[in-house]
Amino acid sequence: MNGEIGVDVQGVTKDFGSVRALEDVTLQVPRGEIFGLLGPNGSGKSTLIRILCGLLVPTAGRATVDGLDVEREGEQVRQHIGYVSQAFSLYRDLTVDENLDFFSSIYRLQGADRKERIEWVINLAHLGPYRDRLAGVLSGGWRQRLALAAALMHRPRVLFLDEPTAGIDPVARRELWDLLFELAAGGVTMFVTTHYMDEAERCGTVAYLYMSRLIVSGRPQALKALPEVTPEGTRRVEAACEEGVAKLMTSARTLPYVHAATIFGTSLHLLIDANVSDQKVEQDLQAFGITDVKVSPIEPSLEDVFVRLTETRGREIEAARPQVVQV
Amino acid sequence: MNGFVAMFRKEITQMLRDRGTLLFALVIPVFELILFGVIDMNAKHIPTVVFDQSHTQESRRLLDQFENTSYMDVIAEVPSRAALERAIVSGRAPVAIEIPPDYARNLAAGRQADVLIMIDGSDQSVATQALAAANGVVLQQGLQDLLEKSGQRPRVEAHPVMMFNPDMRSANLLIPGLIAILLTFSGTILSAFAIVKERERGTLEQLMVTPVSPLAVVVGKLLPYLGLAYFQLILIVALMRFLFRVPINGSLTLLLVLSPIYLVSLLALGLLVSSRARTQMEAMQMAMGFMLPSVLLSGYVFPITSLPVSPHCRCRCRWSRTFSPPRTSSRLREGS
Repeated sequence: MNGEIGVDVQGVTKDFGSVRALEDVTLQVPRGEIFGLLGPNGSGKSTLIRILCGLLVPTAGRATVDGLDVEREGEQVRQHIGYVSQAFSLYRDLTVDENLDFFSSIYRLQGADRKERIEWVINLAHLGPYRDRLAGVLSGGWRQRLALAAALMHRPRVLFLDEPTAGIDPVARRELWDLLFELAAGGVTMFVTTHYMDEAERCGTVAYLYMSRLIVSGRPQALKALPEVTPEGTRRVEAACEEGVAKLMTSARTLPYVHAATIFGTSLHLLIDANVSDQKVEQDLQAFGITDVKVSPIEPSLEDVFVRLTETRGREIEAARPQVVQV
Repeated sequence: MNGFVAMFRKEITQMLRDRGTLLFALVIPVFELILFGVIDMNAKHIPTVVFDQSHTQESRRLLDQFENTSYMDVIAEVPSRAALERAIVSGRAPVAIEIPPDYARNLAAGRQADVLIMIDGSDQSVATQALAAANGVVLQQGLQDLLEKSGQRPRVEAHPVMMFNPDMRSANLLIPGLIAILLTFSGTILSAFAIVKERERGTLEQLMVTPVSPLAVVVGKLLPYLGLAYFQLILIVALMRFLFRVPINGSLTLLLVLSPIYLVSLLALGLLVSSRARTQMEAMQMAMGFMLPSVLLSGYVFPITSLPVSPHCRCRCRWSRTFSPPRTSSRLREGS
């Protein structure tokens, strides 16, 4: 917001024995921004978050959080960060109130200040009606709110959320994100990992990890405009039909001018030669017996971006992989 | 020690809420104590079958003497050697006595009279006690005959004094040792579980991203368990004293003052286990790995002198000897 860096990662590498979990990752998150980290399972997302939280020590490189070095100034870093892990990790056998009370006292909050903070997070997360429930009996969405409330207790400057919305229903997901926006507006830097593209679209900056390497990082709009995503001489269209999208895809892939075809619900996203018109595609697809198909030009989605970049940059990484491991 | 008070209070809340832990720490030891308290290690009234081919006053007298020891009860007379063996094999009687037809005749003629005594060797404690009793009876009988004939009195007589436990009560022997064993089990397992549970649930990781100090986590978590184990000790000692009437001749104060040192060492052992184990199951097995040797080598189950280890090794296992059963038992029983 004011140009300061909330999270700064410089050339971070992490090895677990002979397995390289992160390879030379560099990225910056401006203060007060929501940063979305995406990538397949096992690509190193959680490892990066755990390094930034001081739970793991990087093998090489350095990282700062809110201007503090995570390795050398771990003590101060922990005063200023909040961490919501992938699995619910508060005390299931304590009530909502007891959990919050515990974390408030861990952060050395005392007296009136402590009461006020607890009330603040309870209101923020709408946990009021559940204060006396055991955390273990709460449903997924409420557990996540409780975890967030506990992580916010000390008004952290940077909040790390590792797949905070995994396995919770769409309404709870939407509400959680509204809460995140509210906090970001208050100047809290958010570092979020997710698998959901709609969540990624809402982030100020997104980055994609693939096989332990950061293959791209930037604003969603900038990523969609990358030349690699829609190479010169090609364009993107959507082919929509009422049913039979699977057949549509196998048919489309046989056309010589189609470079890529991906299903999105009941429609198909195609990367085609730029000189082929919508009508031409429509006619060719109808020739396969799919009569109600409609073709129209589209912008690439973030998913298109990541799928495409995995194909191009990912290939390079995979090709270079054997040499990398021997280092 | 930042966060110590928070950890301590949280742990107490959790401990009091966890029925399983309280059951494990307080109910099960009491149950085991009662079980051990009613056990009598002296094998009395061992069922015995008899095949008496002599059927004389002399053979009758010998059998009476067997019964008089109260170690053996003649439950049946059988008609053959085969029936005797059947009784032992079937488990009906661990001891079988056969008196040959010429028993009384041999005695009268001053020849050696034989008696066959078969003992089921598969139960060692019954077997050794039965053997000792049978040998005693036969020796006594032989000696008496000899003395009657020669008109002399025995020259040497032993006056054994059983110190600390004059009545040979099993409870006096078993319960004080059991205290140490029960505390070893619950102290090690409780503390190992307390920390492994946090790791298993992911809460340990959550704690590590807060400014709480590692020392505060360890001390804050273990102190409530030290209290629980101490309460357990007092409960068991009280039951021992008032329910099973085991006398405390030594210094009770010294026991109560010094036992926390033992408890802390047990909790530390649990802590060591928890530093390696990832799941509670693993912790349980590792704790067993520590506890079984410390119980088996403590002298509670086998006498220390019979351990198949060199004196050097015996010094190594000293901690289990020094603080475990023999020391506790003697502290309680001796009037030191």
